[in-house]
Amino acid sequence: MRRKRFVFLLLLLALLLTACGGKKGGLRVEGAWGRPSPKMAMAGAFYMTIYNDGAQDDRLISAASPACGTVELHESYMTPEGAMGMRPVAGGIPVPAKGKAELKVGGLHIMCIDVKEGFEVGKKVPLTLHFEKGGDLSVEVEIRQEAP
Amino acid sequence: MKNWWKAFLGAFILIGLIAWGWWRFAPYSFHGMVMQSPEPAPDFTLLSKDGPVSLSDFRGKYVLLYFGYTFCPDVCPATLANLAQALHQIGRGAERVQVIMVSVDPERDTPEKIGEYVAHFDSSFIGLSGDPKDIARIASLYGIFYEKEEVAGAAGYLVTHTASVRVIDPEGRLKLIWPFGATPDEIAQDLKFLLRR
Ligand SMILES: [Cu+2]
Repeated sequence: MRRKRFVFLLLLLALLLTACGGKKGGLRVEGAWGRPSPKMAMAGAFYMTIYNDGAQDDRLISAASPACGTVELHESYMTPEGAMGMRPVAGGIPVPAKGKAELKVGGLHIMCIDVKEGFEVGKKVPLTLHFEKGGDLSVEVEIRQEAP
Repeated sequence: MKNWWKAFLGAFILIGLIAWGWWRFAPYSFHGMVMQSPEPAPDFTLLSKDGPVSLSDFRGKYVLLYFGYTFCPDVCPATLANLAQALHQIGRGAERVQVIMVSVDPERDTPEKIGEYVAHFDSSFIGLSGDPKDIARIASLYGIFYEKEEVAGAAGYLVTHTASVRVIDPEGRLKLIWPFGATPDEIAQDLKFLLRR
């Protein structure tokens, strides 16, 4: 009886750990979120912090989601004149060993083009990240009004 | 004993007066660029989803004027969400504030499209589009730069644009410019200061 309970608790713990964020090898993702997108908006942005606890530099090279027609890695930047622009990130987003990559408002983001259905607050959007060395990592992007 | 009481009352009134004076006249530092001698903001008329709208329709209110486009998933939603949150923070004062977004991508943004887009952030927001030539002229009058940028990928093209917010006072003068990234708290503080006079 005791043993059963122990196994149950262990399973629960494992479930909680996996539910808290994607984790793969030395790579994990925290605070994945995106803003609610109006249905007529063609595009939405996803933000998150990617941690690399491993000893090897890695690189996010692409991402995919069934909720988006196309997913691209983008970067917002300020021109020398002070205007804001956006461009696809050439060569992916580096995630250094024992380091992290921060995707946040006004900077790097994952762009969801051709949003298939509106993103309402509370919705969890499945997203798969493809890393150069670490392989695939599945995360859930929480739709919310502001950064967690 | 009576004298003691008088002194106490006097001190109390004096402190009250100083506090009021500080609240009313203390120099306030805005979270953006303040126009020292505000010039009249050029009037314009563009199309909303409900028909033509002019800037001068909003005399008596503070107008927060922003130029952006709907195919803009990062910078524009961040700005509109921050404005919406700031309006929420100032409560009833928000009745004297009007947010207007003008499209810098009139080829893709119809008045209906940008109108629905901004309403998603706050039902009071107004979205405007119109003839590309009119928009180019208005943008240059306000010192707004924008340029189409062809990109590889599904987006087709993106628009690089000035992402600051212009504050036009109830007399129709350009008063203040918030840079991109001004937080809801900063915007709300500035609006509270402007609205209390
Ligand atoms: Cu983007």
